[in-house]
Amino acid sequence: MSHVAFPIVFGIALLVFVGTIGGRIRLLATARPARRFDRLPERVQRTIVYAFGQKKFLTGEQPAGIAHALIFWGFVVLGLQVITQFGRALSVNFNIPGFGPNQLLGPPFFVARDLLELVVIVAVSYMLYRRLVVHTPRLFGLGRAEERYRGAPHWEGILILVFILFIMVGGLLADAGRLVWLDIHGNEREFAPLTALVADIIGGLGRSGGHTVSEIGWWLHNLTVLTFLNLLPLSKHFHIITAVPNVFFGELPPKQVARKPGALQTPPAGVARLEPPPTGLTGIASLADVSWKQVLDAFSCTECGRCTAKCPATASGSPLAPRQLVLDIRDRLYAHPAEQRGAVAGAAPLISEDVLWSCTTCMACVEACPVGIEHVPTIVDMRRSLVDQGRMEPLLQQTLENFAKQGNSYGKSSRMRARWTKGLDFTIPDARTEPVDYLWFVGDFASFDERVQTASQRVARILNETGISFGLLYDGERNAGNDVRRVGEEGLFEMLVEHNMAMLRDASFEAIFTTDPHSLNTLRNEYPAYGLDKPVYHYTELLAELVADGRIKLTTPLTGTRVTYHDPCYLARYNRITDAPRKLIAATGAELVEMPRHGTNTFCCGAGGGRIWMDDSKLEERPSEQRIREAQELGTIDYFVVSCPKDLAMYSDAAKTVGASFEVAELTALVERALGVAEPEVLAAPAGRER
Amino acid sequence: MKTLVPLKQTVDLVEELELNDDGTDVEREYLTFKLNEWDEQALEEALLIKDAVGGEVTVVALDEPDADQSLYGARAKGADRAVKLTGDFAAGVSSHARAAILAGFLESQSFDLVLIGVQTPEDLDGQTGVILAGMLGLPHASVAVAVEPDGDALKVTQEMGAGVTHQLRIVGPAVVGVQAARAAPRYVPISRIRAAMQEGGLEQQPAAEVEAVSGLTVRRMYAPQSSSHAEMLGADADAAAARIIEIIRERGVLKV
Repeated sequence: MSHVAFPIVFGIALLVFVGTIGGRIRLLATARPARRFDRLPERVQRTIVYAFGQKKFLTGEQPAGIAHALIFWGFVVLGLQVITQFGRALSVNFNIPGFGPNQLLGPPFFVARDLLELVVIVAVSYMLYRRLVVHTPRLFGLGRAEERYRGAPHWEGILILVFILFIMVGGLLADAGRLVWLDIHGNEREFAPLTALVADIIGGLGRSGGHTVSEIGWWLHNLTVLTFLNLLPLSKHFHIITAVPNVFFGELPPKQVARKPGALQTPPAGVARLEPPPTGLTGIASLADVSWKQVLDAFSCTECGRCTAKCPATASGSPLAPRQLVLDIRDRLYAHPAEQRGAVAGAAPLISEDVLWSCTTCMACVEACPVGIEHVPTIVDMRRSLVDQGRMEPLLQQTLENFAKQGNSYGKSSRMRARWTKGLDFTIPDARTEPVDYLWFVGDFASFDERVQTASQRVARILNETGISFGLLYDGERNAGNDVRRVGEEGLFEMLVEHNMAMLRDASFEAIFTTDPHSLNTLRNEYPAYGLDKPVYHYTELLAELVADGRIKLTTPLTGTRVTYHDPCYLARYNRITDAPRKLIAATGAELVEMPRHGTNTFCCGAGGGRIWMDDSKLEERPSEQRIREAQELGTIDYFVVSCPKDLAMYSDAAKTVGASFEVAELTALVERALGVAEPEVLAAPAGRER
Repeated sequence: MKTLVPLKQTVDLVEELELNDDGTDVEREYLTFKLNEWDEQALEEALLIKDAVGGEVTVVALDEPDADQSLYGARAKGADRAVKLTGDFAAGVSSHARAAILAGFLESQSFDLVLIGVQTPEDLDGQTGVILAGMLGLPHASVAVAVEPDGDALKVTQEMGAGVTHQLRIVGPAVVGVQAARAAPRYVPISRIRAAMQEGGLEQQPAAEVEAVSGLTVRRMYAPQSSSHAEMLGADADAAAARIIEIIRERGVLKV
């Protein structure tokens, strides 16, 4: 099989490939810098887990996920097959050194090769079945936000699957035909059951027939591999080359202040901390402002749509779909590379404003993406540019002005912030004048919203009973700035941080706890960069600890009460806190019935990332209402339990709109009842009950 | 076009107002101050004119609490010059005195147009602009909802009653009291305000010494008293409907 033609074909194919990939590398090299070369051991580890281990495929939607993992691993092993088949252009008995029939690695390679050829053929057939017969919607575009994607041609996915099939079948025929042609026996047959089986079937064609089959298979395999290689950088299958580095260069979890020894703390998500914009840049306004990691993100998108399928904005009919957003950036890079160097590529913005403002920053897209694309930080970068130009809707503008003037979204005087404490029959210490163990960072909603004030008072009563030492910053507290930063108002975020840090420096405490997951996220993951050196807890973590210690004794179990629990995005997905609230629910004796989407796979209420300060009347159905309907499917439940002040407000409204058969209750309402101190009917927490 | 916009600090109403001991004024010690919202509209209109035809915008404020903040905010939005007139204004400044101080400053300036907020929460009669125009002997229009350059002149749109608008052509220089700008006041990001502060560049000069009497003295100020209360009708639709009918009858709207 020593072919003269093949080295020429191979050479040409390689030259073309180098040319195309050179163009792609130029796009990377022209892009702005990004610091992604730090903490290399952690990067190697995540690459092993998420790229080579295919973790997100194994834990995500099935059976497509497993099918992908099998094809991936198949390709890793079958890379050896490709080298072998290329080598056979020079010698018909070429084997990679060490992989010969009577060498150590030969037999295991034959077994693995045959097994994986079979597995990949089956998996690819299933993938083709999904594309051609089932027409899985996720692959063709979801919601109104992906109309453009739906309209685009989809033959490429099918073509690639056919190519993979050709490579498998070609390799198989080349090997089987060779066994017949050269009448090979021994290890090459005994350890290769599939190849041997095919060889048996074509055995009747005789040695010359075997030669023909082998030639056809060999050319089919090698030509398809070379065509495939050249198609990669031109197609969504570029991810075969870029996905592994994209995972490697992903944002690593921020370093946090260590908690007490022995306390388990799961690292947060990588994008839990946002980077400030680089000096001299306010945000992303055009391709000239895009970093190489963002270019690599665009290269790596496989158009699988796992992000869009999880996106609350897409699900509620808004113009945002994360996949479309990444593809729009990619298409622009390919169509107008000169924009990277400052050329103006027409009047159309890179991504339109209504798309950018639709994001709730719930991070479901980043969580779902198997190749490590970071949609949310990119959206925030683009929002920063809009904010810099003052482009935003009036309600949001008013809210930002309120923050700037009063330090809270309500525009109320900061002297009103701790007014909810007036409903208590004890005084919470002022941490600025009296040392305390825990500083309670209350947050805006829990301080100002009447419905949530009731919950804040309840937390205060429960903690007061335990005798632990805790205090407040009173009128010294300002909004922590989590959502202000995610709106894209970095300067305002810094101003809020500076104020809060000055107050925190004046106060004496050992640890912070907060009732608000949004505040928790920025205090825990972003404030350390501004000097905060104390651990930060969510109140459910603190209460769960106190229950475990026996300092809170739940003596009246809520036997027979069925509840479901909604994981807040900023608690579960951003900070991986999912156990503490469940432990608390279990301790109350209530029965927890999980919604299909729970834990890190939770569904957003629609309030995050500043969305709560924007108009949501144009949505087809609010995410919160979809969520209430999801809970309705669980059969009879008594309470929809929340552990985030914004959730209490959002879901109380949504439950009314939908006409839910259950009540929305903040977690401590269950706890207080299990303490045996509150009557059942106060669970729903009507506004201003204590006052 | 050279436009000049006087800015005034007014009481921020998010804080609860209390009357002083002799009941002639609000207690000023604990108040916080912010830029008068009508002045914000005037500034926006000035910036819109600059955006459209170029020129220069100058803002000027008396050294009242947090005036620096407002001046730098205006600079960050696009005002070219910011001037602070220093003096002791702790006891408050009447509209007459304010107009006289501004007139004193304006006499040394060259300008084509003065845009001033039509009123402030403390001057609901909208006097300052009128008095200022009178002192400077310039044409004046008030309650403007649009001020647009029109050749060598200005086209001023005024809002009259019952949705009627009224267009005037004024040959400047003129003083115009602005009710609303053509667009909502723009947002200026904090980073830009901070950059403006770092840059500095506030011009300071002493306010003119003026003798201006308003002719009015406040004898007594009253806290607003709630004269009626909302009545909550409850969740039961039938009961609520019955009560609504009852109320309509009580008020004599429905005779049967």
